[in-house]
Amino acid sequence: MSALVEIQDVKKSFGSNEVLKGVSIAVEPHEVLVVIGASGSGKSTLLKCINFLETYDEGRIVFDGKLVGYKENDQGRDIAPESETREIRKNIGMVFQNFNLFPHKSVLENVIEGPVQVKGVTKSEAIEYADELLKKVGLADKRDARPSTLSGGQQQRAAIARSLAMRPKLMLFDEPTSALDPELVGEVLATIRGLAEEGMTMIIVTHEMAFARDVADRVIFMDDGIVAEEASPEEIFTNPKAQRTQDFLARVLNQRKVLP
Amino acid sequence: MGYEWQFSVLYQYWPIFVRGAITTLEITLLSALLALVIGLPAGVGKEARMWPIRCVCSVYIEVIRGTPALVQIVWIYYCLPIILGVQLSGKTTMIVALGLHAGAYVAEIFRAGIASVDKGQFAAAKSIGMGYWQSLRRIILPQAVKTMIPPFINEFATLLKLTTLGSAIAVYELLHESNNLIASIYRPLEVYTFLAVVFFMITYPFIYMSLRLERRLKRGE
Repeated sequence: MSALVEIQDVKKSFGSNEVLKGVSIAVEPHEVLVVIGASGSGKSTLLKCINFLETYDEGRIVFDGKLVGYKENDQGRDIAPESETREIRKNIGMVFQNFNLFPHKSVLENVIEGPVQVKGVTKSEAIEYADELLKKVGLADKRDARPSTLSGGQQQRAAIARSLAMRPKLMLFDEPTSALDPELVGEVLATIRGLAEEGMTMIIVTHEMAFARDVADRVIFMDDGIVAEEASPEEIFTNPKAQRTQDFLARVLNQRKVLP
Repeated sequence: MGYEWQFSVLYQYWPIFVRGAITTLEITLLSALLALVIGLPAGVGKEARMWPIRCVCSVYIEVIRGTPALVQIVWIYYCLPIILGVQLSGKTTMIVALGLHAGAYVAEIFRAGIASVDKGQFAAAKSIGMGYWQSLRRIILPQAVKTMIPPFINEFATLLKLTTLGSAIAVYELLHESNNLIASIYRPLEVYTFLAVVFFMITYPFIYMSLRLERRLKRGE
């Protein structure tokens, strides 16, 4: 089986600060890849490069057989026309740390915005699917509410429904629970776990180690712009090979023990 | 001996003020419309990724903001015909000149309004496959409009008062009509005082509306 996402030696700098120093990862269809690592290790930037919300300087990212963001020619490559990048984005859902729901629209309007405005699905068809999705994420009774009236957990579930409405082939989660109060984390993780069970291909950046261990098919530990270790969840959490992984896990797991 | 005010003589000339007011409003509305049409692309263009676009928009905005409106009007009225061979009528000149003038200020209002919306909104719109203009229209501007309305109304009130510059190129707006009236009845103090009252009556409702809206939007936050 060929990979759905293939990241090959990707490098990225912000000014003189190199945040990605040659990252290579492949994600198979139906695989759940969890990326862990300290803040500033380049996890979020990598995620944003996959749907070209961030440009990358070197290397290639291939999604579903298409090069993301660039057009190659004899001289090298140019930024691809926006229409081609949009075509790729239609197939990649993204869930943000701060939800980023559209505050001037109801939950239902948030969910149907993409299908109706971007894909040209009829409104009635979009609403039918949106209702199904809202039921799935447990927000059927909130369909007409404004995002500002929802709890953080509800907002994030609505955002997940909004992404799913595009019927993506891949879902990207950028620290989906980092902005939530602790008691609201569980409901969002349960929703993501549900998607994993349905076979959705996902790349998840998270600080929730127990969740990572539970949901991941494979875990990647990023440190200082490179993939420091890549292993199955059992292996990485019980028997990490790299020293840096051991230090990182000791730090975060200890913290969790001290704090209630 | 004090001055003897005689406002009653003005009474019979009310059609002149109405006529002037209509021209004034006409110029204001059309130039405001033009300013909106110019202002959006200029404001967006000032932040564009491609530098030639950014450059053109910045130069336009800064040149307009750095020169007096009267000079712009006179320039379009007298210099443009020499350069391009196109002579615009006085009224059209006023609409074009004030439209260009206000456009620069409106561009800044659009730019600031767009910048006031959380960047995550653009990211979310892009992530569901929207293009730049589509995200602007569907997602960003509807949210920015709240912060943009009060400055828009202020700009409109400013524009209304700027129409008096039309008298410099003999456009029959309120000030020019008044000057003509003064020339025939020799009552400058009464006419100018009344003119001020007329302007205040037209302009103040807009200023008041802007203040009210601003206060209401602040409370809403």
